[in-house]
Amino acid sequence: MTSRILVFAVAVLLLAPVSARAALDAAQLKDIVHIIDERQRAGGDYRSLVYIEQKEKDKPDIASEATVYRRSADAKFMILFTKPKDQQGKGYLRLDKNLWFFDPSVGKWERRTERERINGTDSRRNDFDESRLGEEYDAKGEGEGQLGKFKVNLITLTVKSGVDVAYPVVKLWVNEDKNILKRQEFALSGRLMRTLYYPKWNKQFSESKKAEVWSPGEIRIYDEVEKANSTIVVVKTVDLHSLEANIFTKSWLEAKSR
Amino acid sequence: MLQILLIAARNLVQHARRTLLLGFVIAAVTAFLVLLVGLFDGIEKSTIESATTLMSGHLNVGGFFKASAGQSAPVLTHAHKLLEDVRKDVPEIDYVTERVRGWAKLVTETGSLQAGVAGIDIQNEPGLKRILKIDQGSFDGLNEPHTVLMFQNQAEKLGVKLGDVVTISAQTTRGVNNTADVRVVAIANDVGILSAFNTFVPAQTLRELYQEQDDTTGALLVYLKNIDDAGPVSERLRKTLAAQGYTLMDPDPRAFFFKFDSVNREAWTGQKLDITSWKDELSFILWLSTAMHALGYLLVSVLIVVIAVGLMNTLWVAIRERTREIGTLRSIGMQRPRVMAMFVTEAFLLSFGATVGGALFGLLVALFINGRHVRIPFSMQAITMSDHLTLLPSATSVSTSVAIIVACTTAVSLIPSFLAARLKPVSAMSQVD
Repeated sequence: MTSRILVFAVAVLLLAPVSARAALDAAQLKDIVHIIDERQRAGGDYRSLVYIEQKEKDKPDIASEATVYRRSADAKFMILFTKPKDQQGKGYLRLDKNLWFFDPSVGKWERRTERERINGTDSRRNDFDESRLGEEYDAKGEGEGQLGKFKVNLITLTVKSGVDVAYPVVKLWVNEDKNILKRQEFALSGRLMRTLYYPKWNKQFSESKKAEVWSPGEIRIYDEVEKANSTIVVVKTVDLHSLEANIFTKSWLEAKSR
Repeated sequence: MLQILLIAARNLVQHARRTLLLGFVIAAVTAFLVLLVGLFDGIEKSTIESATTLMSGHLNVGGFFKASAGQSAPVLTHAHKLLEDVRKDVPEIDYVTERVRGWAKLVTETGSLQAGVAGIDIQNEPGLKRILKIDQGSFDGLNEPHTVLMFQNQAEKLGVKLGDVVTISAQTTRGVNNTADVRVVAIANDVGILSAFNTFVPAQTLRELYQEQDDTTGALLVYLKNIDDAGPVSERLRKTLAAQGYTLMDPDPRAFFFKFDSVNREAWTGQKLDITSWKDELSFILWLSTAMHALGYLLVSVLIVVIAVGLMNTLWVAIRERTREIGTLRSIGMQRPRVMAMFVTEAFLLSFGATVGGALFGLLVALFINGRHVRIPFSMQAITMSDHLTLLPSATSVSTSVAIIVACTTAVSLIPSFLAARLKPVSAMSQVD
């Protein structure tokens, strides 16, 4: 009997550090996801100038320029296309949980799904919006790995119950600075749909947040279903100063479209 | 009367060259009209047949389900109970099929295309089996899950053959991306432009793709014993279903896929039914048929005016040439009405003979073209709604064409005939050639 207790005690002593390390890993994972979100959160208003280049098989490349507007306080979001001329004035505006699209050539607003492709490219609304990984997904660590010359943590995110997202499973390659270097998004069926690379991250001090805000300088998006399609998003400038109060309205976007 | 007929016929024979020339023109226009009407009737028949098989029933009980105010899907919940209720109220039913409705991207290694994807139970699709001609594979393949039937132009565009795998990519009703890999089990001959954006997969495969329950579908396609009953039956069904507690959308004579914008703008959530007839669902195609008919009739009207002017002119010449003959007939006692009747009869005989000849020639040409199975280039199939040129001149349309041309040409002969009858015998006799 004594020997059995002894064996059990030794086993507990041996396993304890393992379970402690596992618990620590889960907490660390949560922290990493929280840090990723928090570092990108502007904590106030955000405006950036982006270039979007779309490559599609058997079609000429399409490049456009747009301004992205965000307001953290009430999760407002807007994209206004400014170039080329035929795209000028097109815009997306999120009001509550609805994404609206405005096309000045028809002068009409159309309600779109939040998860639709932006202006026919491989990009989605969430590529330009604040990161909400912690709110939307549960994280699971896949260990450490190497991405090129960078040491990375591999994290698999699975959508939380009752949350609607475009991709229910996401894999992240996060570097030691807690920046995402690579992201893979999977369909419900488990099929890989998109791979995104974030080769460049920029940081800027935000007066409203009283801290630095990180934003990707470039996103390379590869369509994994239609392999020949890809999109490059280059964030040229980021401005964290306050925006006009009434900017996130249909009338404001329509006025800019004229 | 027989005498007048005889004189008119002899006059036509006597002026054989003129008769043949004018008769040929009238016959040519008649043949053209018959072919044109045959083409339009053929297009209309192909359109109705293929469209009411591929994408609409004679009557459709469809609808939208909105999980949130801004997001609608062409989904019918509790479809089995709804089907029972529809069957009870519509004894005119020939058969009913359930179609799961989807719009997805079909992707292969070499190509991709957007298409309407219909989820079907192939055992319950007699119309589809009758209308579609399978080039490769068979309908039976659709009994297995994760299979697809597509059309030749789609297979070419995607670069696939029988047995190849195609990925269908779509968003579920909650906006989550999903895919399904399906195997090509049948490639059907094209049936006009409609075959460019219609594919068929087993219903369960599409439900899995859209994460829908077994008791849901996209629409009930109701086929009636008589297609003409679609209007009154849909009105009756609308009242009955409303009385049974179903919430119905206001009548909107458009295809369901044109309604997303307006439905998304409305604030309601939940399920609403939409009852439409085949004419509503195909309104975006039928306008083309109506426009073609209008254009055709305009063209024929112009040709009839040309013939009428030609005939009138010819009769003027004939009257001038036969002034002395008219004088003689009048002086031996022929009354003015009979002189007029003589010329009108001449015009009638000429136009009747020529139109009948022209109509027969037109029918022969139509038979010849149908027999040759002339293939239409894909770019033209938007107009013809069929991959083969089919002319279907019906007995009614041919006889109507003949009657219209005969009536018009006879009517225009009244004026010169009336003027010929008014000639005085003395002045007519005194005319020297």
